[in-house]
Amino acid sequence: MSETSIDAAPAVAPSAAKPPFNVLIVGVGGQGVIMVSKVLAALAQWRGFEVKQSEVHGMAKRGGSVFSHVRFGKRVWSPTIAKGEADVLVALEWAEGLRWLPFLKPDTGIFICDTKRIVPPFACLNRTPGAPMRYSRETADEVASYVAEGYAIDATTMAEELGNERAANVVLLGALSNALDFPVADWETTVADFVPKKTVAVNLEAFRLGRTWVAEARAPAADVPLVHAPVAASYAPRLEINADWCKSCDICVKLCPERCLKLNAERVAELAAPEKCTGCRLCEWLCPDFAIRVHLDPQAGAEGTAR
Amino acid sequence: MFTDAANFDVRDYLRKEMMPHFLCPGCGHGIALRALLWALHDLAIDKDKLAVVSGIGCAGRLSAYIDANTFHTTHGRPLAYATGLALARPDLHVVVISGDGDCLAIGGNHLIHACRRNLKITCLMLNNEIYGMTGGQVSPTTSESRLTTTTPLGNNEPNFDACALATAAGAGFVGREVTRHVPKLKELIKAGLEHPGFAFVEVLSDCTEVFGRKNDLGSSPEMIMRQKSEIRPSAYRNTVETPFHSTSLPTGILTQNDRPEYGAAHRRAAAAVVAKGAK
Ligand code: SF4
Ligand code: SF4
Ligand code: SF4
Repeated sequence: MSETSIDAAPAVAPSAAKPPFNVLIVGVGGQGVIMVSKVLAALAQWRGFEVKQSEVHGMAKRGGSVFSHVRFGKRVWSPTIAKGEADVLVALEWAEGLRWLPFLKPDTGIFICDTKRIVPPFACLNRTPGAPMRYSRETADEVASYVAEGYAIDATTMAEELGNERAANVVLLGALSNALDFPVADWETTVADFVPKKTVAVNLEAFRLGRTWVAEARAPAADVPLVHAPVAASYAPRLEINADWCKSCDICVKLCPERCLKLNAERVAELAAPEKCTGCRLCEWLCPDFAIRVHLDPQAGAEGTAR
Repeated sequence: MFTDAANFDVRDYLRKEMMPHFLCPGCGHGIALRALLWALHDLAIDKDKLAVVSGIGCAGRLSAYIDANTFHTTHGRPLAYATGLALARPDLHVVVISGDGDCLAIGGNHLIHACRRNLKITCLMLNNEIYGMTGGQVSPTTSESRLTTTTPLGNNEPNFDACALATAAGAGFVGREVTRHVPKLKELIKAGLEHPGFAFVEVLSDCTEVFGRKNDLGSSPEMIMRQKSEIRPSAYRNTVETPFHSTSLPTGILTQNDRPEYGAAHRRAAAAVVAKGAK
């Protein structure tokens, strides 16, 4: 792709004296983080810069964290971006974006983030149905106040409206293109090179949408619903413990995943933290003495169907 | 798998007047009994069509708590009684509950011949590696170096892999599971009950009071949590090739074949004799 040698004068800033320009692209597996970084790296190389890119994508299949460092300039030595050194942080997922915020240059860094939220399993430590998740609760406005310049884009919905959810990463690429001084035509050629032939049209549209969105600097999208919103419980677990049959073996106490049982003063199992019980039935199943029966009472008001 | 959990109340299948049962606190046999009753519930087996035959020992005692036709027989012989019952009453679901000593030592001969005949019986062998009821003697499944009353310096006899034995003897269905995974155990017993021939299910259970105490295996919860580290998901099914490995045991359905069931053949032969006599 690169016909220009690295000795040729770069067509755009940064000038030779400047340190490399640092772009950090983050998201979770399957979102297209690597594709965004490849487009950027190829374009920068084409424009005559030396480029270094390094990435971690091992967790891609598991929806794990994926990130890619892209650095370009007259001369680039280290392939990674240090904390507080990123000129632009592009995040394809909300919490991933927040996680990487410390890498942004405090005074000039630009934060471009999709409001898409993918809740990881560890954010659901409390398994009670309807329980709140430990997922970032910051609003877009709050986050904007942490950074020099920030854009929260609902890129996923924008891409969906174009008919291809997978083009969300290209919407963000379009947003990113505003932060760099490369000609639009070059961006579009590179994007077209990297996406599957059949999706070139929709991806170019996505690119333009992202580019104009930031250019117009529209207000951040209203709070976007979570991808996996907690489901309100339609039942309430209730434990029936038969004190006459319990032999104080402690199995239920130690094996309850929520640790909500205890042995009371008479050394009989007792539900000490009913609010934590999820009704999983493990205690009922593992009690060798048949002393526990879990009932899932339909919740008042809700149309309850016991599991 | 869990759809019926709400409808299954184990107390519907117990002789409540016999409860609490006599097992020690934390004994895994109670959990195995629940899994069996749950499987029977899932298959909607009529209690009047169920016959549970058991031998002697802590496991043998379980039949007394089941609200069905039960038969507490002599040491090592439940399979012999069950064979007669299954031949005479093919309309019954015959289930045998036996322990490792009952099934493999005293009743070892009955087991291999029951496997060989492949008569429709579901045999549950609750393996806790010890004779718990009689004070903790070494059994055919006691692992190497384990302490028992009769092996105070540690067991140095090799132990049986009961599943490999049953497979080699010709059982139509052989499986193994731990008490820790109750729904999986229930599903395995269910598959055994549905099998048309002889089904042998080894349940790895904990004898907390005798085996656990003698071998310093910790409290009941510690013992049941240990099960997870000792088993191996059913990826390797090489019990027949490597029969003398007592740890890292494969679980799940280990053998399933369609060898002809003996009861049907027996009834055909009997009918032929009757027809001949009538001539
Ligand atoms: S059902 Fe039992 S094991 Fe499950 S959370 Fe409630 S108390 Fe704990
Ligand atoms: S598992 Fe059963 S017998 Fe053991 S402490 Fe809990 S309720 Fe009591
Ligand atoms: S002696 Fe062992 S097997 Fe027998 S009831 Fe007690 S714990 Fe269970």
